[in-house]
Amino acid sequence: MPHLRQLCSAALLLTGLIPFAWADALCVLDDKGRQVCLDQPAQRIAALSPGATELVYAAGAGDQVVAVVAYSDYPPEARQVTSVGSHTRVDMETLIALQPDLVIGWVTGNPVEQTERLEELGLPIFYLEPRTFEDVSTAIERMAHLAGTDTDGLAVAEDFRQGIDTLRQRYQDSSPISVFYQVWKEPLMTVNGDHLIHQVIELCGGENVFADLPRLIPRIDVESVLTANPEAILAGGMGEENKEWLTDWTHYSSLQATQQSNLFFIPPSLIQRPTPRMLAGAQLFCEKLEIARARR
Amino acid sequence: MHDAEPSNHSAAPRPGHTSFSRQIGIPLLTLSLAALMAMIFSIAHGSSSIPLQDVIAVFTGQGSDLQRTLILELRLPRTLSAFATGGLLALAGALMQILLRNPLADPYILGISGGAAVGALTAMLAGLGGFLISGSALIGALSATLLVFGLAHGTGSWTPSRLLLTGVVVASGWGAVITLMLALSPPQRLPGMLYWLMGDLSYARTPWPALIILLMVCLVLTPFGRSLNVLARGPLQAAALGVAVKPMEALIYILASLLTAVAVTTAGSVGFVGLIVPHMLRLMLGNDQRLILPACVLAGGTLLTLADTLARTIIAPEQLPVGVLTALLGVPTFLFLLYRSR
Amino acid sequence: MSCLELKDLIIDVPARADGRAISLSVEPGQVWGVLGPNGAGKTTLLHTLAGLRPPRSGQILLNDEPLASLKRRAIAQHLGLVFQERQDGFPATVRETALIGRHPFLSAWQMEGAEDINQAEAALAALDVAHLGDRLVSTLSGGERQRVAIATLLTQAPEIWLADEPTNHLDLHHQVAVLELLSRQAAAGKAVFMCLHDLNLAARWCDRILLLYPDGEACWGDTRSMLIPSALEKLYNQRLITTMIDGTPIFIPARD
Repeated sequence: MPHLRQLCSAALLLTGLIPFAWADALCVLDDKGRQVCLDQPAQRIAALSPGATELVYAAGAGDQVVAVVAYSDYPPEARQVTSVGSHTRVDMETLIALQPDLVIGWVTGNPVEQTERLEELGLPIFYLEPRTFEDVSTAIERMAHLAGTDTDGLAVAEDFRQGIDTLRQRYQDSSPISVFYQVWKEPLMTVNGDHLIHQVIELCGGENVFADLPRLIPRIDVESVLTANPEAILAGGMGEENKEWLTDWTHYSSLQATQQSNLFFIPPSLIQRPTPRMLAGAQLFCEKLEIARARR
Repeated sequence: MHDAEPSNHSAAPRPGHTSFSRQIGIPLLTLSLAALMAMIFSIAHGSSSIPLQDVIAVFTGQGSDLQRTLILELRLPRTLSAFATGGLLALAGALMQILLRNPLADPYILGISGGAAVGALTAMLAGLGGFLISGSALIGALSATLLVFGLAHGTGSWTPSRLLLTGVVVASGWGAVITLMLALSPPQRLPGMLYWLMGDLSYARTPWPALIILLMVCLVLTPFGRSLNVLARGPLQAAALGVAVKPMEALIYILASLLTAVAVTTAGSVGFVGLIVPHMLRLMLGNDQRLILPACVLAGGTLLTLADTLARTIIAPEQLPVGVLTALLGVPTFLFLLYRSR
Repeated sequence: MSCLELKDLIIDVPARADGRAISLSVEPGQVWGVLGPNGAGKTTLLHTLAGLRPPRSGQILLNDEPLASLKRRAIAQHLGLVFQERQDGFPATVRETALIGRHPFLSAWQMEGAEDINQAEAALAALDVAHLGDRLVSTLSGGERQRVAIATLLTQAPEIWLADEPTNHLDLHHQVAVLELLSRQAAAGKAVFMCLHDLNLAARWCDRILLLYPDGEACWGDTRSMLIPSALEKLYNQRLITTMIDGTPIFIPARD
């Protein structure tokens, strides 16, 4: 499967870059499958999700960002940029007044009514929805292309790609270990096999115990976690340092993860946003699983 | 509203016939059995299947560690919490209805649970967890009741219709505040808040406070059953028949608020139980509070226990909020009974 | 035997001058009739005598004890009231309604026993509504409801009967039956104090009369001395024609 996926994304990458070779216009395919073309590199970029902001900065186009939305807290410079509301409710007036020449939208995160309105107003929108590691890399490359920062973007994307490949090679033959990843505590939520975090679990040689559930972020009960009896539990938290969620699991002595103290905290910002920081998150994730394996 | 067939009412007490205890005993015994069966059903079902003989084994001190954890630490407390919450809500609704002499009265319609919800959401927004959310919900419920009754009292004495109207208006005010808070909340907190608003027993930590308060309120109410019957005929008639109306109304009001606050604190906003259960029982059993109030506790507990079992198992291991199920089960049943009774 | 004593009583009718203070005693064996036009305060007086609202001034003594100092339950064991307006609370059957008359006599933990049920059944039979026992009160006619209300008071069997228009909604036969029942109660040593609209019924069944005027003025005494045509014409602001039949005065409104 990994090979096929790489092949596909390579093809996507090519189709994204080909137009550059023969036309003046800068054109790429976005994650809705639309062709997005600009006459000249974007100078005023509006990023309508915290993840998009991070990707634009990663693509080396941070200086061109004129608008972000709430919770765009990385890199720290992004906090200084004008906010145009939240990703669920964009302040259209402020956004349009900032005269962006490129809007980075979020396919499933922004309200369709608002993004359609922006399209009607003639603003070029580049929709993002990275679902694989390769999607993250190409997102950086495509964004860099639109912003005219190809050199920076290609380098960052390549670093990320190689970093992930290194992890994959290192852990692909590791012995499988069953993992429960806790997205949230109340209500208790996890990820299914379609989620990017599931791919992090696989990357590190883990097996997501809830991979087969139908919904992307299913809400489950404690009972099903006890029954699945994972060897390791990894959780985000309410904040970057807040590890209290894990202590709850120590009450259940029948859990393998509890018996072997395999309760690990992963800062949510490192793993819950599809950005280059996922590499650090994935490295941390893999290290935790290695610790868990060592405790067998 | 009320079925006129004699057979549906407390059977005619003929001169020299037995006392009321038989007419009260049989329905309550039936409802207790139903409650017991609902609890067994709830304990025997979950997202992971445990054969019935293993469930019994756990209760006789055997069974594997996992099965013991699942049944004794997860399902049993949750079942008891569901039963207690349902009982609390139905009893609170029945009391509110007597207080206002209006079958529409219900802690949710009167805005008490709205206040509790605002309290709880404020705690969640502030990033507080666990018992602080419960405490905040309790403060919200109590201040909402004070607000409604204080405003309804105004400059003169309150009338039931004025109280109900005040409650309804204040409740929609809470609704707006809740919407505002949801709109301003960071997106990652939204799922928790929404589930809390829909009512969800997975927040219940321990069933004991709810059960103990339910039991205490039942004990407090026991000697007042007949007085409540008289009060249901209107305050003047009740006063003429020797009921101290004002202290009695104050007692009902305080107990109903306490019940609601504890219920909301245990399980979030579970709607409809307080409205539907007392009403259904009145349609079937008549209107003797000595029968209706304990029947509400049993039937409310049974309903919520069953609803929560469904919420846990319909799409297991995924979970549904129980409030949605009480509404989906309760509304058609209620409408059917109402339609039939015409 | 109980008696109810009014001492310089001024009832609290909003926005009305004090008028005349009422001092009288309702004693066993007496049947009092209160007459007055609409808004004279007849219902207010009755509610005040039952302790349901405070007087503006003066005192009411129930068996020599101030009414205000007694507990509701103690009052209800001696004194009962038939309301003119009945609040429709939750649905209840006729039998259940009559049975609540026993409330003041049962302790908190006591259930109604066979004795209480017999008493309620007998009261319903006395008012000719026993056959309606299982019906919901809300499904009855106005007159039937009135009789159920009186049956409830009969079940309560207080020593002092207060009744606000007990003949309201009743047909002629039942009017007579109810008034006969009340006078039998008085004959048995109870005291009856009721508001009436019908002068002729008052003339026939009451032995004491209290006239209440809209301005708070009042006068009282035995029937023969109170039912003077000129006083009644002033009371109702209506010319009357008077005749005597069967030793009782009969009043008929004159056509203008």
